[in-house]
Amino acid sequence: MNALLRGCTVLACLGLGLGLAWSMLELPPAPIQMPGLVASHMDQSGVDHPVTAVLLNFRGYDTLLEVAVLLLALLGMLAAGTTPLHASSFKEAPMLTALARALTPIAVLVAGYLLWAGAFKPGGAFQAAAVLAGAAVLLRIAGLLPSWTTPADGLRLALAAGLLVFLGVAASGLALGGLLAYPPEWAGTLILLIETSLTVSLALILAGLFLAGPDSRPPEEQS
Amino acid sequence: MSAWLDPVPWLILLPLIWATLAFILGPRRGGRLAMAGLAIQLGLAVYLATQMMATGPRVHSLGGWGAPLGIDLLADGLAVAMLLLTQIAALPLVIYARAYFSASSTASAPQWEGAPRRMVPSDQFWPLTGFLLAALNALFLSADLFNLYVTLELLTLAAVGLVALGGKPSQVVAALRYLLVSLAASGAYLMGVALIYGTYGTVSIAHLTPLIGTQPPPAIWLAGGLMMTGLLAKTALFPFHFWLPPAHGGAAAPVSALLSALVVKASFYLVLRLLLEPLAPMAEAVSWLLGLLGAAAILWGSWQALATRHLKRLVAWSTVAQLGYLFLIFPLLAPDGLALQAGVMQAVSHGLAKAAMFTAVGVLMLATGRDTLDGLAGVAGRLPLTIFALGLAGVTLMGLPPSGGFLAKWLLIDAALGQGQWPWLIIIIGGGLLTAAYVFQVLRQSFLTAPESTHFQPVPRSMEWTAFMLAAASVLLGLRGVEWIELLAVV
Repeated sequence: MNALLRGCTVLACLGLGLGLAWSMLELPPAPIQMPGLVASHMDQSGVDHPVTAVLLNFRGYDTLLEVAVLLLALLGMLAAGTTPLHASSFKEAPMLTALARALTPIAVLVAGYLLWAGAFKPGGAFQAAAVLAGAAVLLRIAGLLPSWTTPADGLRLALAAGLLVFLGVAASGLALGGLLAYPPEWAGTLILLIETSLTVSLALILAGLFLAGPDSRPPEEQS
Repeated sequence: MSAWLDPVPWLILLPLIWATLAFILGPRRGGRLAMAGLAIQLGLAVYLATQMMATGPRVHSLGGWGAPLGIDLLADGLAVAMLLLTQIAALPLVIYARAYFSASSTASAPQWEGAPRRMVPSDQFWPLTGFLLAALNALFLSADLFNLYVTLELLTLAAVGLVALGGKPSQVVAALRYLLVSLAASGAYLMGVALIYGTYGTVSIAHLTPLIGTQPPPAIWLAGGLMMTGLLAKTALFPFHFWLPPAHGGAAAPVSALLSALVVKASFYLVLRLLLEPLAPMAEAVSWLLGLLGAAAILWGSWQALATRHLKRLVAWSTVAQLGYLFLIFPLLAPDGLALQAGVMQAVSHGLAKAAMFTAVGVLMLATGRDTLDGLAGVAGRLPLTIFALGLAGVTLMGLPPSGGFLAKWLLIDAALGQGQWPWLIIIIGGGLLTAAYVFQVLRQSFLTAPESTHFQPVPRSMEWTAFMLAAASVLLGLRGVEWIELLAVV
C-alpha cells in the first residue's frame, strides 16, 4: 500500500515536471517587459540597484508584508512553546569558542558592508540580517550567548522596530497620495532608514528562531 | 479626496499596527487595543461600502506607481462584501476572546501533562489575531497575483500559530499538519504565478485578464491547475478536508471561530475571483468538478458531523459540509449573477453562524468542563441564552427562513431551476436535512436532565451575549439581503 502510494507520488511528480518543461519550451515572448519598465523608472527610485528599487520602492508593499511574515514565524514558535531541537547542552569546545570570537566582528563588518552595498549592487537588509543571525547562532553554539526563554521588553521592541519603522514610513506616504509613496528627493534616505532598522530586527528575528527556547545549560552556568 | 482619508490602505495598516503594538506590549496584553482597532476597522469598512455604492469600485496605487510596475489595491463589490464579513464577525469574537481567556485561566483550566510552566494559551493570541486580520483584509483588497501569494503566506502563518497556541501536543500535531498542507498548497500557487509571469511579464490581474483572453496557451492551463489545486487544499474542499477537523476542532474556541468563519473563506474568495476574471476560460472546464466535489463535501461532512460524539469536532465537520455549498455555485455561474449572490450570501451567513456556533460551544465546554455530547445534559436549563444562540445558528446552517442561509439556498435553487440543472436540488435539500439532524442531536442532548452530581462552572455573561449576537446577526442577515446583493453589483 505504502509502496503503491509512493509510486503514484513519483509518477505524479514526474508528470508535473514534464508538463512544466514542455510548457516552458512553448512560451512565447512576454508582451509586458518588466525589466525595461523598471529601468525607465530607476531615476525616480532613490537607489541605483534595480533589485533594491523593486523590493523597497516599486513593490515595497510585498516586502512590508514579508517582514510581518518573518515576525509572525517567530511569534508562531513562541505561541507553540516548542523546545528547539538543539536543547541538549552544547559541549565545551575551545576551538569553536575561539572561532566564534574571531568570526563575530568580521560578520558585523560584512553585514554593515552588505547593508550599504544594497543601494548600488546586490545586497541589502535581508542579506545583512542573515549574516548577523549566523554570527548569533555561532555564538550560541559556542556557549557565549544564552538562549531566550521569553523575550523581554527591550528585545520585543527591537524585534518589532523594523516593522514599525516600515509601517510609519508607509503611512506617511499617504500624505503624498498613496501608501508607501516616497517623495523622489527623499526616497534614498527613507529606503536607507527602512533597511537599517530592518537589518537589526530581521537579524534578531532570524537568530530568535534558533535562540528562543529554554536555556539548556546547567543552572550554575546560566548568567 | 485626500489619500489620508482613504479607508482602503487603513484597513490593512490598522491591524498591522495594533498587532505589532500588542506584540511589544507583551504576552496576554493588547486585548483593548484589538477591540479599539477592530471598532475603527468596522467603521472604515462600512464607510468604504457606502462610498463605493455611490461612486463605484476604487483603485489605490501603492507607492503611486500603478500596475504593472507597482501594486494596485482594488475595492469592488465582492471584495468589500468579504471585508464587511471579516470586521463584523471579528469584533464580537475579540470581545468574546477577552472574556474566554480570563475565564479559562481563573477556572480550573484543563492543564495537560508536560505543559511548559507559565505558558497560557492566550500568550500570543492578540498579535497573532491582528496579523491574521491584516492578512485577510490585504488578501481581499489585492489585485496582484504575487501580492496575493504574500497575503496567503501571512494568513497561513498566523492561522497555524493560532492553532498551536498553548502548545498542547495534539494541537502542535494538528498545527504542523495544517502547516505542511498549507505550505505545499502555497508552493503550488506560487509555481502557477511564476508560469503566468513568465508568459505575460506581469502579475497584475487587471492587465492579465485581457492578455489571457479566451484561448490561453498550455502553460496557463498548467498554471491555473496548480493554483486551483493549492487554493482548494487551503479551503479544505473534499478530498483535501483531512487537515481541518483536527486543526479547527483542537484549537481554543475563539480561534476555531476565526478559522472556520473567515480563514477558509479567503481561499474560496480567491478561487471565485480567479475563475471570474483572469482564469475565466478555465471556468467551464472545472466548474462541474468543483460542483461535484462540493456535493461530496456536503454529504461526507454532514455524515461525519452526525457520527462524532465530540462537540467541537461536530462543529468542525459541519464546516467541511458547509464549505461544499460554496462550490455548488460554480456549475451555476451565469450572467444573471444569481449563483454569485448565493455564494457570497452563503459565505457571509455561514461565517456569522459558524462563529456563533464555536463561541457557544466554547461557553458550553467551559461550563461543563467536557467536550462530549453526553456532557451536555442539563445545560439548556443553566445556559438558555447559549442554547438559543446555538439553535439560531443552526437555523441559518439548515437554511430555514428568514435566515441568511435560507436566502443563499433559495438563490442557489433559483439558479439551478433557471438553468434546468435540477439534480443539484437533491444535494441542497438533502444537505439541509442532514444539517438539521446533527443540530437537533446537540439540542436534544442539552434538554435532557442532568445527573445529580453534575457541577457547572459559572461563565461570564459577555461570552453568552456575543455568541447570541453573532447567531442573531446570521439570521437577521436574510432580512438585509437586498443591500448585500446591491453591494455585489458594484463591479
